[in-house]
Amino acid sequence: MERSETGTITRRQLLAGGLTGTAVIVVASCGPDANNAIPKGEIFVARVKKVPRLDPSTRDWEYGPQATIEMGSQEMALPTKKVPTVTQLTVRAVHDGTSIGIRIEWDDAETNDLTVRVDDFRDACAVLLAAGAGDASVRAMGTPASPATLLHWKADWERDVQLGVQGISDVYPNLSVDTYPPLIVDNPTEITPMDYVKAGATDWLPGLAVGNPLSAPTRPTSVEKLVAIGFGTSTSCKTQDAIGAGQRTKKGWRVAIVKPMTASDESETVLHAGGTATCAFAVWSGKDKDNGGHKSPSVNTFRMRLEA
Amino acid sequence: MVEVMNWQLNRMMAYPYEEARPIRQAAAVFDTNKCIGCQTCTMACKTCWTSGHGQEYMLWNNVETKPWGSYPLAWDVRELELLGPQHWNGDTYGGKTIFEAAPQGKKNIGWQPTGLDYAYPNRGEDEVNVTLTVKRYHLKLPHDMWFFYLPRICNHCTYPACLQACTRQSIYKRQEDGIVLIDQERCRGYRICMEACPYKKIFYNHTTRVSEKCVMCFPAVEDGIQPRCMRNCIGKIRSFGFVGTPQTARPDNPIDFLVHVRKVALPLYPQFGLEPNVYYIPPVHVESDEFLTMLFGPGARAAINTYQNAMEGNDPELLGALLLAVSTDKIISRFKVESDSVIGWADNGDEVVRIPLKVPIIERSAFDENLKVYRYNIT
Repeated sequence: MERSETGTITRRQLLAGGLTGTAVIVVASCGPDANNAIPKGEIFVARVKKVPRLDPSTRDWEYGPQATIEMGSQEMALPTKKVPTVTQLTVRAVHDGTSIGIRIEWDDAETNDLTVRVDDFRDACAVLLAAGAGDASVRAMGTPASPATLLHWKADWERDVQLGVQGISDVYPNLSVDTYPPLIVDNPTEITPMDYVKAGATDWLPGLAVGNPLSAPTRPTSVEKLVAIGFGTSTSCKTQDAIGAGQRTKKGWRVAIVKPMTASDESETVLHAGGTATCAFAVWSGKDKDNGGHKSPSVNTFRMRLEA
Repeated sequence: MVEVMNWQLNRMMAYPYEEARPIRQAAAVFDTNKCIGCQTCTMACKTCWTSGHGQEYMLWNNVETKPWGSYPLAWDVRELELLGPQHWNGDTYGGKTIFEAAPQGKKNIGWQPTGLDYAYPNRGEDEVNVTLTVKRYHLKLPHDMWFFYLPRICNHCTYPACLQACTRQSIYKRQEDGIVLIDQERCRGYRICMEACPYKKIFYNHTTRVSEKCVMCFPAVEDGIQPRCMRNCIGKIRSFGFVGTPQTARPDNPIDFLVHVRKVALPLYPQFGLEPNVYYIPPVHVESDEFLTMLFGPGARAAINTYQNAMEGNDPELLGALLLAVSTDKIISRFKVESDSVIGWADNGDEVVRIPLKVPIIERSAFDENLKVYRYNIT
């Protein structure tokens, strides 16, 4: 594969090997040249006309070369997860100068997309973005000197987006309730959190009353944007401008995450066409009760290189 | 892990954070001998704090029948089984706490309840300790069959398992009164706290998808008013106030007096190692010292003896301290037995209650001469 003088790969150079973008992708992702084209430890973000947004299965994602990510144990913070449930991800990334899109796929035989019951835990994945060019120190959720931006896709939020915010009546269809004060209605099992909002009665839903994003009465997207400066510090951003979508495949999940390359919140990572960044990945498996630090993180951080 | 002093175990123990006791610690004493299992406390709490969407199976306050009752299902049996052998060398605990027994990669032992575990809050209600099929029982004193009610709220522990387990520092212990709270904005519903709390007093809200717990009615406590479950107790079993350590205990503080001076009120499952701050006067009719020691530690039999001595009229000061329970809405910080009354004072020095130690009884004749009828009640 041809390389530029600076060592960066341009879309023109990638296209030099084939007639169509798709054909090139086959070479880049599967062919023997792929490893030469994309150095190990690097996520190459190909420049495209427009980043695909809410369709994880469109072939437009294939403009981004495929990278295989090895997942490992989480042994830095208690409780640890010594054996990763998901051992491998495949990732493709593209940008259009204003937005970056990352598609993540992994095998997971069981769908866990509810967090309503006390023993429901979700499937999820996240991308960590930070400054630098593969800075290993940010792997543990960033550092005070190099904050991490986290794009967290949640399977339960995806279900909320598709079917409406799920509640206790959805999982316990035979539920019987006398009344939910102060909302006095004929059929209280049909009450939703939005009814509390309309009635100005969110004091009865404390998480919602204080604006916890997990407790939101509506769900516009399945991706949450957070920033962190170390373990236990992740904080939801005021501006939620990341979007995404997840689909079940025959083998597991296929998730697309898109966000603006600019920063709209304090400590958020800024990305530039032609520049580099640091990225890492993590996956949560609901059937293994993964949550928080109990997850399968990527073994390494990666240099993310954005095509000029 | 660092070494901290747990006076209930009479020894140092391992805990992830340094010993940092609050300025004063909110605490309660529950007299199991007076509890009638009416669940008024449960309803007082439920109607105030947990009547919302998503809180359907949530009882911050519950009353279970011992030995068979439990909510969530078998909470204590499962924890004790995980903890392994427990033994006391005199007043000193010789076994491991839930922190010391933690396997590698975890901060504590614990188990995660499922939805079904919350489905039977009255399991075992009013069931006695032995099966009644062997022979016919007649009333016998002391009892050879027994049960008692165990009212439970969050213990607002000195060394909370929930707090140390939370990876996001969403749980905090207030410096001013030791009340343990979950930051509803910061909680992400991981439920690690729920697994860690051996008393299983952390609950998951199905709708807001974050965890919640007893807040000890902190807005009331800040105003010098007792929590709702205490104020509404029909059996007058509950005393609320602030507890010190054995070194800082004040004999004129009713809670300190019951816990540290007379030692009639004991922590629940002290061997877990959390230094819980709800104390129980053990049931006098339970003959099994092994069972009482398992629940309340090695001081249970002595506590019963001291309690019975007061009931027989030999300890007016202890009787006075016990009479203060649910005698006023105000938090009593100082008390004194004077002539035939007990007097309670609030923090600001106001006298908030004065109760005679012995209620004057007037006995009337069974027949009312004026109305020419027999009376149903002659006292």
